Amino acid sequence: MKQLLKNVSNNFKEFGTAIVRGDIWVKMSLLIMGAGYLGRKQFIRAILITLLQVGVLVPLLTVFAPYMSKLDTLGTVQRKETFDALTMTKTVNDYDNSLLILLYGIIGILAILAFIALYVSNIKAVYREQLEAEEGDHINSFKDDIISLFNDKFHITLLILPSLGVIIMNIIPIIFMVCIAFTNYDDKHQPPTYLFTWVGVKNFVTMFTNSRTITFGYAFLRIFIWTIIWAVLATATTFFGGILLAQFINNKFTKAKKLWRTLFIITIGIPQFVTLLLVSKMLGDSGIINTMCANIGILDFLKNIGLLGKGAQCIPFLSQPGWAHVTIILVNIWIGVPFQMLSATGILMNIPTDQIESAMIDGASKRQIFRHITMPYIMFICGPSLIQSVIANINNFNVIYLLTYNYSTANMAMAGSNAKEVDLLITWLFTLTNDYSNFKMASVIGIITFVISAMLSLVTFSKMVSGDREGVYR
Amino acid sequence: MKNKIKLVLRHVFLSFLTAFWLMPVVWLFVTTFSTEKGINTNHFFPRHWTLANYHQLFFEPDTAANFPAWFRNSMIIAIFTCIISSAFVIMTAYAFSYLRFKARKGLMSFSIILGMFPGVLSMIAMYFVLKLLGLTDSIVGLIIVYSAGSGLGYMILKGFFDTIPESLREAARLEGASEATIFLRIVVPLSKSMIVYTIINSFLAPWMDFFMARLMIKSKNPSDWTMGIGLYNLLQRALVNQYFTIFCCGGLMVAVPIAGLFIYMQKFYVEGLTDGAVKG
Repeated sequence: MKQLLKNVSNNFKEFGTAIVRGDIWVKMSLLIMGAGYLGRKQFIRAILITLLQVGVLVPLLTVFAPYMSKLDTLGTVQRKETFDALTMTKTVNDYDNSLLILLYGIIGILAILAFIALYVSNIKAVYREQLEAEEGDHINSFKDDIISLFNDKFHITLLILPSLGVIIMNIIPIIFMVCIAFTNYDDKHQPPTYLFTWVGVKNFVTMFTNSRTITFGYAFLRIFIWTIIWAVLATATTFFGGILLAQFINNKFTKAKKLWRTLFIITIGIPQFVTLLLVSKMLGDSGIINTMCANIGILDFLKNIGLLGKGAQCIPFLSQPGWAHVTIILVNIWIGVPFQMLSATGILMNIPTDQIESAMIDGASKRQIFRHITMPYIMFICGPSLIQSVIANINNFNVIYLLTYNYSTANMAMAGSNAKEVDLLITWLFTLTNDYSNFKMASVIGIITFVISAMLSLVTFSKMVSGDREGVYR
Repeated sequence: MKNKIKLVLRHVFLSFLTAFWLMPVVWLFVTTFSTEKGINTNHFFPRHWTLANYHQLFFEPDTAANFPAWFRNSMIIAIFTCIISSAFVIMTAYAFSYLRFKARKGLMSFSIILGMFPGVLSMIAMYFVLKLLGLTDSIVGLIIVYSAGSGLGYMILKGFFDTIPESLREAARLEGASEATIFLRIVVPLSKSMIVYTIINSFLAPWMDFFMARLMIKSKNPSDWTMGIGLYNLLQRALVNQYFTIFCCGGLMVAVPIAGLFIYMQKFYVEGLTDGAVKG
């Protein structure tokens, strides 16, 4: 953070110097951004950058400015329809749409920030060229610029499109939803008919309150604990299951490796929305698994050892808390292990064989080789993705939602906040938005989920990004 | 002798695992031939067998099930998303693994932080953004939604790129290759297996997705739907007793391109490709 501030202040210092010491062309660039390049006879560059300037400023002033000016209240004029009996037409007043105000406001602010950065760096670049011209150095022609985009500036070429996509489809939506958490946007305040406005941290207080009327605090604690247990168990079971299976199949004693691998891969081949819906039907209270279990006596056996009450008609695989939790974890192993097996196979194939060979010459046992060579190598490649898969499991929507879309809770406190025992934070979020239009509480859950993910990876975070490990196997 | 028993046990164990893993798939497969239209809860195998369900699936699209249209829509979306997002992932991974530029660490940290935000959270806002662009209910809109943020999924590929010997790239640079040439001529061929993995994933994500499509496509006309929305719809309470076998047929057909892809691509997982590079 300090570094960032320092960078920003340095940038502006250089910007100041450029303006003070710059010649007429640099000063003219303050107004028309292409002017500086015109002075150095770089016409294509001058035209492009000026077009960019116009292209940003015109929509900013005409389209975005009116919305941005209302950001503080998110609009004050409510939509009103008046019916004119004479002309038999409805007229609608010039109402404010809180949603559009927020969305355009955010995009506008981002555009302004980006434009300021561009503006400052443009002035600096123009000034640099002035210095180069004074010293008689070579000034890059347009052709040189293009070539440098494939050499020392290759990263710009590579990253520009992915970054743009991330900005439009990740950053803007995230900022938008974070803002929603501080408003009262719910089913009673839906644009365009109604307005919503800022309410401060009220929604966060509601989330942790447990009273007779508000049960969010109660539901949150339970769902939070289950989310963490789920994420850890789901990641660990599939990760180690996958590696063990891959090792087992790769073993030199196993015949027809490819056949076994293919058989397991078949289950990946069918999309989750098919397999999971199918499995949830199979495990249903009157599903085929229950029929089979009753026929071969498993149902009676479970009654006898006391896992089920005497009056139980079926095994409640997906309809009672506890049972459902275990079933979900098991089904997830079924879903996840073939995936992990596949990527583990890819990695196992690429283990530097010289290390294993020398270990074998030194007389290491198979187990030792696995523990001290294979696992470290797998962890080196998968380590970062392991943290990501814990986070992915916290956000694992498909397995929970598709397996339990028929589940209904008997717990009134849970139902009071539209939650179910088997919900993860993420499925709770989805139910709140999709079925109850409770966007404000959903956004609060989203922010909390983010904080949990961030804290979980904070420990390993610095290790992942610090480049010390990048060269280990090179 | 002892070894032989071990060998047999090993394969018995594998067969047992495989049987367990394949049971739902087999049930899906046999149910497609059932003459009973609803869910069969009493018998694993259908009592009477028929091919009529497939005929209905392909040649008799009705108001509830329009499989040919769903298949076409999903295919177009998946192919374009696959091209765009594999390109994004490979480009990002390459830039972060090999190129050293000022903002590198900052951007990597930032992308990891972004990845921690739950995707479902931003889905609703994505819908508003798409609406702003006038792209809801369209294939183009879904392609954008699936592929735009894909650059964030670079971690695994970057981890793989990190294991490719630096000396190779240096040698190429000494001979005057540009960064772009090194990328296309050295890194891509050497990391084929991981790139194949990336491509498969980029194809499968949209092909197998259901929720994003359901959020983005609000059209009531079945010919605008993707496979996921369409098949899910067949399990609605009002339809399931008439269309469960059709659902199974559809589910199986969805799997056909994927199975083909996997069986074809499997060899890339099996061939160790760094073998050919530099050795000890």
